[in-house]
Amino acid sequence: MALTLEHVDLDRSGRPVLRDVSLAAPAGAVTALVGPSGAGKSSVLRCLVRLEEPHAGRVLVDGGDVRDLDPCALRRRVGLVAQTPVMLPGDVRANLAYAAGDVDEARLRGALGHAELDPAFLDRPAGGLSGGEQARVAIARALVRGPEALLLDEPTAALDPARAAAIAELVRRLAGEGLTMVVTTHDVALVRRLADRVVLLVDGAVVGEGAPDAVVARWEDEPAWR
Amino acid sequence: MALSVTQAAVSQVAVAVGLVLAAIALSAATRMGLGRELAVVALRAIVQLTVVGLVVTLVFEHVGLAAAFIVVMLGAASLTSARRIRGVRRPLAVAAVAIGAPALAALAILLAAQAFPATPRGIIPVAGILIGGAMAAVSLAGRRVLEELEDRLDEIEARLALGASARAALYPAVKRAVGTALVPVMDQTRNVGLVALPGTFVGLILGGASPAEAARVQLTVLLSLLAVELAAALLLARLVTAAAVAPGERVVPPVG
Repeated sequence: MALTLEHVDLDRSGRPVLRDVSLAAPAGAVTALVGPSGAGKSSVLRCLVRLEEPHAGRVLVDGGDVRDLDPCALRRRVGLVAQTPVMLPGDVRANLAYAAGDVDEARLRGALGHAELDPAFLDRPAGGLSGGEQARVAIARALVRGPEALLLDEPTAALDPARAAAIAELVRRLAGEGLTMVVTTHDVALVRRLADRVVLLVDGAVVGEGAPDAVVARWEDEPAWR
Repeated sequence: MALSVTQAAVSQVAVAVGLVLAAIALSAATRMGLGRELAVVALRAIVQLTVVGLVVTLVFEHVGLAAAFIVVMLGAASLTSARRIRGVRRPLAVAAVAIGAPALAALAILLAAQAFPATPRGIIPVAGILIGGAMAAVSLAGRRVLEELEDRLDEIEARLALGASARAALYPAVKRAVGTALVPVMDQTRNVGLVALPGTFVGLILGGASPAEAARVQLTVLLSLLAVELAAALLLARLVTAAAVAPGERVVPPVG
């Protein structure tokens, strides 16, 4: 599934958040969105699942405008994992079942396995898990419907280097299975390890887009952008 | 006889005012910051009940005035609850619908069934109790549902991101708001007669009714209140959450 923004403007409370943003996340590739805090990276992800409504421009999924799709169906095809995932009340099973719409045990176990979590987690209270475990449960929850794309907002921000590396591997593996991946991050090492393409956002505008080496070099050149 | 009534009246006023002053002093001593509000609500109560005492004789005698009196009650209740949902668009209209619809519907059913005489003397007190109950439920539901929209927006958005419709994503907020709103009437009903003798019962007994008669009327009112308060809280929570739904199955909380 290819995801595209075309000349998108987004305002929030009268303040511009995105300005004439055009970018593409090709099908089956890992696209990294990088840039300083407040650059609009999360807003791009929110626009892609229509949690934000741009004031100008278009958001396209496989060439079709997201406004022509049923929003609920769109969000099942394009999973979004927030930076600080919110666990719903109850155990992990309840969290996965909420997303799945049923409690087919095999499907829930499959999704957990996909996120490299043991099936024993199903009966654990979701609120009591560690940050890293919650991040994986959130990924499993987004995967349970079999989406075609997955958007991860700062998936490694709260993790130690070993766990961050494990998440990076997971992202690569999911892309290898054909999922379109879009990942926002501050982490240069992570970008080099997993991205096929990089988009550099600064103050709500795209200032660089292309192969990782070139864009990362540009990003690292400007200390204010880090 | 006349002398003893006057003595009772003097003691009633003196003790009641004394206790309010004591409450104000306690608030000041413990720095609760409620002194001013206590004084204002006490003064308001004195003025309002005095006025009502003066006009109620008139109201009881003219159906037109009784209807006007119910409109005034509904207006005052709506204004009070509207203050709790200020961030919502047209708070007064929302509160008036949520309070008025269930309270007046229950009143109509009670009158149609001839549970109370369809006279001003029968209608006014029951209308007051039903509107008052609905107002309390609407105020509590309103405050809670706005807190939910503000403080738990990330949870609502997590549900949306998982493919839930806006209405489904808002359902837990509605449920928690309605649950909170019903706590007082649930507790009141659960403990009726054990912890406190409610107003209607006391009034009827003081007015000379038999305890059985008083209990029957009180039960009618109390059980009606359960339905009225549930409907009022639910209606309010639905109206407020529906107003927060934006095109594209999004949730945009009211700003305020």
